Amino acid sequence: MAGNFWQSSHCQQWIVDRQDLIRERQNDLQFMSEEEHQKILIFFCNFMQTLGEQLKLRQQVIATASVYFKRFYARNSLKCIDPLLLAPTAIFLASKVEEFGVISNSRLVTTCHQVVKSKFNYAYAQDFPYRTNHILECEFYLLENMDCCLIVYQPYRPLVHFVQDMGYEEQLLPTAWRMVNDSLRTDVCLLYPPYQIALACLMMACVVMQKDTKSWFADIGVDMEKIQEICRYILSFYDLTKNYDEKKEAQALLAKMPKPKTQPSREENKH
Amino acid sequence: MMDYEFKVKTAAERVKVEDWFDYEGCKVGRGTYGHVYKARRKDGVPNPTNGRNDNRDYALKQIEGTGLSMSACREIALLRELKNPNVICLQKVFLSHNDRKVWLLFDYAEHDLWHIIKYHRAAKASKKSVMVPKGMVKSLLHQILQGIHYLHDNWVLHRDLKPANILVMGEGPERGRVKIADMGFARLFNSPLKPLADLDPVVVTFWYRAPELLLGARHYTKAIDIWAIGCIFAELLTSEPIFHCRQEDIKTSNPYHHDQLDRIFNVMGFPLEKEWEDIRKMPEHPTLLKDFKRTNYANCSLIKYMDRHKIKPESKAFLLLQKLLLMDPTKRITSEQALMDPYFNEDPVPTSDVFAGCPIPYPKREFLTDDDQVKEEKTENKMQQRPPQPQQNVQNQQQNQVHQQQQGQNQGNNGPTDPKRIRMGHPHQGQNQSGMDQNNSGHQSGHGHQGQNQGGGHTHGGSGGGYMNSGHQGHQGQGHQNHGQAGGHMHPSGNSMMQQHYHQQNQNHQNQNQNQGFGQRF
Repeated sequence: MAGNFWQSSHCQQWIVDRQDLIRERQNDLQFMSEEEHQKILIFFCNFMQTLGEQLKLRQQVIATASVYFKRFYARNSLKCIDPLLLAPTAIFLASKVEEFGVISNSRLVTTCHQVVKSKFNYAYAQDFPYRTNHILECEFYLLENMDCCLIVYQPYRPLVHFVQDMGYEEQLLPTAWRMVNDSLRTDVCLLYPPYQIALACLMMACVVMQKDTKSWFADIGVDMEKIQEICRYILSFYDLTKNYDEKKEAQALLAKMPKPKTQPSREENKH
Repeated sequence: MMDYEFKVKTAAERVKVEDWFDYEGCKVGRGTYGHVYKARRKDGVPNPTNGRNDNRDYALKQIEGTGLSMSACREIALLRELKNPNVICLQKVFLSHNDRKVWLLFDYAEHDLWHIIKYHRAAKASKKSVMVPKGMVKSLLHQILQGIHYLHDNWVLHRDLKPANILVMGEGPERGRVKIADMGFARLFNSPLKPLADLDPVVVTFWYRAPELLLGARHYTKAIDIWAIGCIFAELLTSEPIFHCRQEDIKTSNPYHHDQLDRIFNVMGFPLEKEWEDIRKMPEHPTLLKDFKRTNYANCSLIKYMDRHKIKPESKAFLLLQKLLLMDPTKRITSEQALMDPYFNEDPVPTSDVFAGCPIPYPKREFLTDDDQVKEEKTENKMQQRPPQPQQNVQNQQQNQVHQQQQGQNQGNNGPTDPKRIRMGHPHQGQNQSGMDQNNSGHQSGHGHQGQNQGGGHTHGGSGGGYMNSGHQGHQGQGHQNHGQAGGHMHPSGNSMMQQHYHQQNQNHQNQNQNQGFGQRF
């Protein structure tokens, strides 16, 4: 597994086609623009990041949770499960798979309460509405929807490997590492293999740190077209966040999300 | 909140285990891991992969407890990715939303090494012979090594290798093929997010546990699996667990285990400093010096032990065994090297069907009822001491197998003329050994109880393991939970520089504000 990405479920089932991704989102895009959709996903990635840090999880766990979250909404509308429930569920599942040790149910829910209250009150006026049993129920749906594919390959390891090979480790690694973190707020983890994401982040770090490493990139013989596509995704994320104040817009954005209906609707009864 | 329509839709798509499979009354295993059933597809339910009718047997494992425990999560996560002929293959996961049970579907393996060895022990004690192909032990070892090599190559440690976890396929397209099972505790070990010892303090059954673990090593390594394979190999050759030890005080919170170490030294001799230089760095090394005297083991060696079991020190089997059972984990052979060993080139060469086309002498798995569990526990205990009727509880469905087995024995009586078939574990002699040969070393200071406990001990050795071992709960489960961490820190021999570096990175990452991306700063 860790040895062989090419035979992994990640590679074989979860590198999706961009067109499929867009098609699956059409439902949600009736209610919002593509940019707004992206901002909603970014909001919940931020939520998982904060929650994860509060729980003292390592970045690897948070990254895996973010990928689970994205996988679910790559195939389902935001309406199917409230992302505020799916986000802690993804964290919970990822912490078990990445063997951080099981987070106790009560600690998870308590931390959700705290985080919503203290860090995301600009988005939520009410308390975190879910309890342990909601998260446990949701976990089954998440696992089922991912077809039990739980091992996720992250760009961090290949990144370290590449940086060491290239040299300038101390200057480049911190910058590139953060860019990998940022890449979690884009669709690239669903579209490209992690080693390509690592290379793209490394390339951007080289630009930022003004290191000329063209020949190194030429030597490794990777599809530069793909690397540049990934760079464009991440750069457009930076563009998006330039003039974006999540604190001001979050409430309006969340209001646009299609909400789950817990009872059969009237139209349905007619059907 | 979840959408009603979404729930209805997913419920309609979901396959229920009881809709696809018949398994009622077909329980074949019970242990800390849950229940295992022998299952068949229901009439009219075709195999979804090829659309054909399918009358194969499957093993359905209902995981103990409800919901997704960490070990269930790991098992699913790992098995979902693993594909190798010598590693058990997960066919499907069933999630039962109503009772929150998790079911795993595997191919059915009729045999396992725990039952196979038990059968040989019983036969040996009653001075009967079991006829198996001459190369069977070699074929078994070869396939175990192939499976472990695949796992290690993919950065998966098994961590709980023992005979009960080594399955062997019965009649069918994969006849006589080894399947390594029970990966519940396996872990991806190139992401050392936590020292391993913090998670599952005690994992390997004591008898198969490498000396460095008993001395407090905090990290599992490939070498630890290799030691266990060495133990299994020796047990296949002799039908006796090589490091048999009474295991009552398994609840101790310390990985240090005096009696088990004593047993290892009784067989292997006390390690010389030059044989294992880093032994001084082991967390429990001071305790070792305090508790043990080298001179007590002056006459012990693996050569002598195996010689008593009629395995000659110059045989290729012995030479390989010696490399698998090196005390110093850094010197222990790797699975890759072991697969290249001359032992496997020597006639008879390993076969993909370990039974090499010969009749399978071992009985099929019996169905258990809840009463049976208790009963079986008792009969097994007795059988260890008076084992003349291994077939006591044979059910109707096994009649066939018994005939086959008798046939096998009859043929075997013409035996000496048949060069292919010879008693397992005694390639050099036709005469059976009697007795258990437990405390043969003569150094049993303070361990007179060993002999008494051997029966029970063996029974426990089978528990908690393999996916369908008729094991017994209790000791093992407690062992897993209660073993705390001994202090100290041993540098993992299996981790490369890169991995350690990665680990550091990770740590930095948490302490500093690297968790934040540029997004928040731009």
